[in-house]
Formats: sequence, structure tokens, C-alpha cells
Amino acid sequence: MIDLIDLSSTLANLVSNTVLALQDAATSTATSTAAAATTLVEPVVEQRELTGDFWLPQASSTLAPATDFAFHAITWLSYVFFFAITFVLVYLTWKYRQRGTEVKYDADAPVHNTPLEVGWTVIPLLLVIAIFFMGFKGYLDLSTPPKNAYEINVTAAQWSWNFKYPNGATSNNLVVPAGQPVKLVMRSNDVLHSLFIPDFRVKQDVVPGRYSYLWFQADEPTGIVPEDQMPTTATGHYLFCTEYCGTDHSNMHRKVFVLNEEDFKEWEETQARWLDEVPDEELYSIAGPKLYLRCSNCHSIDGSAGTGPSWGNQTSGSIAGLGTLWTRASEGTSPIDGGTRDNGGSTLADYIGPGKLYETPEDYIRESIYNPGALLVSGYGPNMPHFKGQLNDRAIDAIIGMMKQLDQFDAKGRFVGKAAN
Amino acid sequence: MQWAISVDHKKLAMMYIGAGLIFFLVGGIEAAFMRLQLAQAGNEIVDPATFNQLFTMHGTTMVFLVGMPILLGFGNYLIPLMVGARDMAFPRLNAFGFWLFIFGGLLLYFSYVGADGLYGAGTAPDVGWFAYAPLTSRTFSRGNSTDYWILGILVSGFGSMTTAINFIATILCMRCPGMKLMRMPMIAWMMLVVAFLVLVAIPILTAAQSMLLFDRTLGAHFFDPETQGSAILWQHLFWFFGHPEVYILILPAFGFVSEIMPTFSRKVIFGYPLMVAATVGIGFISLGVWAHHMFVVGLGPVLDSFFGATTFLISVPTGIKIFNWLGTMWGGRLQFTTPMLFVTGFVAMFVIGGLTGIMLATVPMDWQLSDSYFVVGHFHYVLFGGTVFGIFGALFYWFPKATGRMLNERLGKWTFWLLFIGFTLTFMPMHVSGALGMPRRIYTYEVDRGWEIWNLISSIGVPVQMAGVAIFLWNVVRSLRKGEVAGDDPWDAWTLEWSTTSPPPDWNFDRIPTCTSARPLWDRKHPEDPDAHYE
Repeated sequence: MIDLIDLSSTLANLVSNTVLALQDAATSTATSTAAAATTLVEPVVEQRELTGDFWLPQASSTLAPATDFAFHAITWLSYVFFFAITFVLVYLTWKYRQRGTEVKYDADAPVHNTPLEVGWTVIPLLLVIAIFFMGFKGYLDLSTPPKNAYEINVTAAQWSWNFKYPNGATSNNLVVPAGQPVKLVMRSNDVLHSLFIPDFRVKQDVVPGRYSYLWFQADEPTGIVPEDQMPTTATGHYLFCTEYCGTDHSNMHRKVFVLNEEDFKEWEETQARWLDEVPDEELYSIAGPKLYLRCSNCHSIDGSAGTGPSWGNQTSGSIAGLGTLWTRASEGTSPIDGGTRDNGGSTLADYIGPGKLYETPEDYIRESIYNPGALLVSGYGPNMPHFKGQLNDRAIDAIIGMMKQLDQFDAKGRFVGKAAN
Repeated sequence: MQWAISVDHKKLAMMYIGAGLIFFLVGGIEAAFMRLQLAQAGNEIVDPATFNQLFTMHGTTMVFLVGMPILLGFGNYLIPLMVGARDMAFPRLNAFGFWLFIFGGLLLYFSYVGADGLYGAGTAPDVGWFAYAPLTSRTFSRGNSTDYWILGILVSGFGSMTTAINFIATILCMRCPGMKLMRMPMIAWMMLVVAFLVLVAIPILTAAQSMLLFDRTLGAHFFDPETQGSAILWQHLFWFFGHPEVYILILPAFGFVSEIMPTFSRKVIFGYPLMVAATVGIGFISLGVWAHHMFVVGLGPVLDSFFGATTFLISVPTGIKIFNWLGTMWGGRLQFTTPMLFVTGFVAMFVIGGLTGIMLATVPMDWQLSDSYFVVGHFHYVLFGGTVFGIFGALFYWFPKATGRMLNERLGKWTFWLLFIGFTLTFMPMHVSGALGMPRRIYTYEVDRGWEIWNLISSIGVPVQMAGVAIFLWNVVRSLRKGEVAGDDPWDAWTLEWSTTSPPPDWNFDRIPTCTSARPLWDRKHPEDPDAHYE
């Protein structure tokens, strides 16, 4: 697993990236402005610029330089202390090492020295007081959002982020206007999460049962790429979840895209309306895959087992070989065990049908998205976040349409059409 | 059988240390799997669910089943011998505490075969060693692996409390004639403060875990935000235990350094009264710093700045100790035996752990570094570079006393250098990957983030450390059979344990010793110039 070829190729990559970064640095301002202008016409995929220093990634928010200054100041102070102490340690070990085998004692060796002892009590005390005040100033700046900040609502859930903008638009990646303070108002649907954007030097826990805030201002536009290109893009800043939140914690990362004011307004408008503009007959094939991105962390399409039941014909577990999710729902074959509306039935057939809990399989699926804890498939827990207020009827139609015609999609949920299968 | 029914403090101590070392190997193997997984971007050696179990079990094991028992084991062995007593104050309570620890540890590990994990994903606990609510609630942690975690730690925690009571009673009531408090060996002071911290901190954890157990099994709502409970409450309770716990793990190692360093500098410890004051100071301040683990929670400026300030404050007495150890070397005649190498390495490593602690205590920096690999690097410098190096120093120093035979010095030096180099390779790069933004507890990462090289170096350090530990184990096995016979006092030391035979008889001393100064054996060996003249 660890071989020298990989090590050397990693080193080579590191060197070439650094060279690229240096080259890019000269032209970065020009290219990024141009990139932002053409953003909405076609996606811009640009090489990520590793313009940070040895310790820290690039500083891309207005408060980052102040944090970095404190970081470097304290790091240098630490270097000084560390090297001074190590120097003294090495000097003492050399100077006073025992020579020869005879054990000797120096009767006059110092065992106590009041001025020294007072000195190494008082001087560090003064230093840490100074550092405390330096940190406190930065703390106040970082924790006080400006009054005119643009507010974005953030909902964290296992294991996805949802960003909701003032005009009703929602997105999976965070898109923010450049040159304007942005305030995130954050809540959690389930357990603790923590939102961390290293390039902005901001991090704040997202705590169930209370709101938390975070603010930043980014001046440099980054451009934006569509969500289905996400895994490969180098555009934008990373956004991580840094509080352990369960099985798929590692995958709860997204991107932050910064757009200049005009592009942002246009993006926001388009994003709020996109679902309405999709023609009805293409709802399942265009809107379905986009909406599925949020489901894909837990629900597979190819039948592999995940945190939630697969949309496809699952190969293992309590629903193995029972067909796709739509088949299981329409034929009522899924075994049911637990949930707030479980009344003792053994399979879905006991709950779906005229006069039963749900009239139709579609009703069951919609309820499962709005109130996932109602009926639980055997072997699965009530972990799915609810999507009430986030997905409207049209979105639900798109999802159900996709589920019904799952054979027209590939394993990653991309529409491939009837011909492909 | 003689061992199983023993109430002798020395036998119990050796069982504590032996069991702790076995758990150390288990926890180390768990860590090795994690480093193997993280060596390269996109590895798939273990799946996410297994990885989550690995870091949960690694953390829980190293803190509760390695650090605590080994350090309490050393306390058990040394306190009666060093204060000149025949045994601990309550020998049967002592045995009870030991067996609780063993049962707690076995209960935790039984979860690997007996429990269901999150989402039916696995068996061992997978909620992280600090088990933040509400991930631990019935809703998110189905099955019973979390119950195993709660009960295993709860049971071994009761063992720690009984041991602490024993330490306090023995140190305060059973010192030999002439041993005033200010003549006690430094290690006795450290253990006394540790025992008080255990008595204050562990009951809080026990209470919090009981509340969690009520939540999970009896439908209580202490930590459930859906029903007006509080997720933050768990964090306060856990860290009110958790931060003193860090000092419970480091103070005994300070004690080892404070015994070993003077012996091999051929000098008394520098500034004994200030050392004692710093120890007691650390004990008190450590009870008021816990929320520095929670700077990213959003507690508000008053609490954040209070806990930031107390954290800076605690660095002062800790710094005093470092300077006093340097002062101990000053003008001495330094003998670089293996134990001395380990405690010298301890001082250098602990300085790094302390300085990164100051960086983390600066709140705006904490907002970049918290929950990143920087924190992982920081606490491994404290608990591995600090505590584990101290433990190895102590093992080499007191092994002759406990077994009657010396450990091999040449193998010992190999162990030191391999551990020192491997440790630096593994944990130094974590500071960089963390500052670059790598979150902790992720099971894999993608190629384009600039973290690859640092993770690779970290992983390369692991086999180096494993080689060091393997040589140590071989050294123990070999030396037990044919090590050099130690004699009563192989290091020409000054504390009372060296005045009796190696290994000591069941009753420790034929006649209860008397004490005329802080170095009773010096006075006996050098009647022409006893310390007693200077007191």
C-alpha cells in the first residue's frame, strides 16, 4: 500500500502544482474576473489555486488575513520558545553529560534560584495575557456580523447540507455574492454538525435545538459549476462537516462558489424558478436526477446496500430481490418493522390500498419523504431527515416519476434514456 | 491463582500495568489500521462504518484502558514503597478496583461480538470517544453498542474512584515517621493531586453516563433536543470530566520525570517547593478550563473568553515544571540511561504539545484548527510524546525493582530512538494537514486537497513505532529470563523503594524506615553531608 513509486509521484505532483500555482498567481485576478462573467453561459472548470502558504490554505475572506496574522505571530512565538528550550536542553545535556564511568557529584550545583524562578513564572504570564488580548480582538470581529449582511438559511442533516436563499431558492452547494457580508443562520435536523470553510477561516457547530450563526465576506469570485459535475471540479472553496455525525460523516462535504453581484442575482432567480421551467413531460428526466443528488448519499440506484433502502433492486438485507422501490411499494412487498404509524402490519400491503393508511403507493412515497419516521422498512432506522418545506409537490412528482422509470437512469442517477437499456 | 486472589499492592500494580500494555497493543493495532486507510487518498481498506468503530475504540481504549490503568498501576506500586508503608490503606478495596477495571474493559470489547451498531452497520461502539449527544440517542444509535460503551466505562470508572480513595488515604495517613508532606517524593505529590482530580471528575462522567443510559433505556430526555433536552449539556458534563482527565493522564508522567531526572542528573530536583505549588495549581485550574473544547459551539463571548483566559493561565504552572526540569539538569552529572533518554524526550515533546495548546486556546485560531488534524497532532504530543514516553521511562526505571532484573540498555536505546523518530514522523505532519483544513474522523479524502503527502508521512511513521514496541516486548521477555541481576539499588537512587530488596518482600520493609529529609537514602549513604542539614 505504501510504495516508493507513489511517494515519488506524489512529490512530483506537489512540485508541478506549486509551479502551476506560481504561474497562475500572476494572472489570477484577470482570469477569475473573466471566469465569473461567463459563468452562466458555460461551466468554468479551472485549476484550483494552491496559493496558501506552508501552514494555511489560501486566505479568501476579508477577515482571514487578521486570523492569519495572529496565527503566524503565535506560531513564530512558539518557534522561538521551542527552539530556545530545545537549545538549552541540548546544551545542558552536552555540557553536563557524565564523562567516564565514575559517578561524581557537584556539591555546588544549583538547586534553587529565586530570581530565575520568579522570572519564568512572571514572563510567560505576561506573554499569555498579551496573546489573550490579541485573540480576543479577532474573536469579537469574527463573532459580530455586520448589520447589512446577506442572510442564508442552512439546514444540516445526516449527511447533506441544504442552503435556502431569501427569494426561496435552495441549493446543495453554497453560492454567495462577492464583496458583501454573508451571514449563515444554521440549524440541524438531527445530530451535531459543524460547518467549516478552511479558505475563509470560519467554523461553527450546527446544533440541534438551537440556531447558530457564522459570517464572512469573500471578495474574489470563483465561478460556478453545475452540481452533476461536482466530484471532478476544482472550482470553488471546500466546505466540510467537522463534527463527527455518523457513518457517512466523511462524505458530508460541499463547495462554496462566490459570484459577483450580477451573476449572483441571476443565479438566484434561475435557481428559484428552475423547477417551474422544466416541461412537465421532462420533469422526471431533468428534475429527477438533480433532486436525487440529495438522496444519493443514502439511497443507491444500482441495488447496492446503503444507509437507506436502495431505489433499485437491492441485493442484500430484508428487501433483497423484491424489485425496485416502486415495485416494492406498488406490490406492497416491503417488510415493515416500526415507525410512528406502525400498527402491527407486516408488509406494505397492510398499509396501502383503499381504506387503508395510504390510498395509493404515491401517497406512501410522498409521506415517506415528508415524514420518514412514519413507517420503517425492516432493518432500517428513523434516520432520514424530513423534507417538509424543502420539496414541493412538483419536486415530489419528479422524484416519483424517476422511481417509476428507474431503468432509464444509470447507477449514478444520470438520465440515459430508453434506448440505453 | 495466587495472583487472582491477591490483595498485595505490588501484584495488583503489575497486573494493572500488564493489562494496560495488552490494551496498548490492541489500541495500537486499531490506530495502525486507520493510518493504513488514510495513507493515500481514496483508499478503501476499511469501510466508513469500520473506520468509525476503529477511532472510537482506539480513543476509548487508550484513555480508559491504557492510560488510566498503567498510571494508577504505577501509583499502586510506588506509593506504599515510596512513603515507607507495608501496603495501601485498603488492600481489598484495591483488588476490587482492579477487577472492576478488567471487567469494564472486557465488557467494552465484548461489544465486538455481542452488540449491534449504528444503523445495523457494525458491532463495536462507533459514536466517538466523547460520544456527543444526540448521536448517542436511541434514534441515531440503534442496537446496543453504545450501551456497551456506557457500561464498560462506567464500571471501570468505579474502579478508578476506589483507587483514588486508596491513594489519598495512603499518602495522607501512612507515611513513615519523619516523612512530612514537604519531604514526600514528587511522584507522591502528583499522585495525590491526581487522586483528588479522579474523585472530582469521574463521578461527573458516571452521572452523565447514567443520564444517557436513562435516555436510551428508560425514555428520559436529558440530551434529546426534540423534547427540550440539551445536546450541549452532554458536552459540558463530558468535558468537565474530560479536561481534568487530561491532567490525570499527564500528572503521573510529570511525576516519573521528576523522579528519574534528578537521579540521573545526580542532583536534587530544582525548586521543589515551586514544583509542588505548580502541581497543586494545575490541579485547581484544570477544573475550570473544560469549555475550551467547545469554542466552536457558540457559547458567546463571556464564556469563550473566560475559558480562553483560564486555559492560558494553566500554561504558566505547566511552563514552570518544564523550566524546573531544565534547572535540574543545570550543573548536574547527566547519565543517559534509557529512562533518562525517555524523560529528556518527554520534555522536548511536551513543549510542542504545550505550545500547540496555546495556539488552540486563542479562540479565532481555534476556529480554524478545532476538530481538524491539528487537534489530533496536539493531543498526541501531550498524551503520546508526554504520557507514553513518561510511562516507558518509568518501565525501564522501575522494572529492576519489580522483577529483580535489569532491562537491556542497548535494546532500550533502540526502542527510544525508533519510538522518537516514528512518533515525530506520525504526529508532526498532522499539524500541517490540520491547519490546511483536514477534518478529523474522516475515513477518506480526495486527491486535490493538498493533504496527501502529510498523510503518507504520518502513515510511514507507524511501522517505525511498531518496531520500537516490538523490541521493547522482546526486551521484557528476554530480560525476565536472563537479564542482568539488579540488586537493591541499581541506579544509586535516593527514594525509599530502593532501600528494600528487588523484588520487595510481600511486607515491603523488614522494619518501617524513617525519613530525615526529601532524600532519605542519600542521608543514609552520605552521613557526612546529609540533606537534613539543609532543611
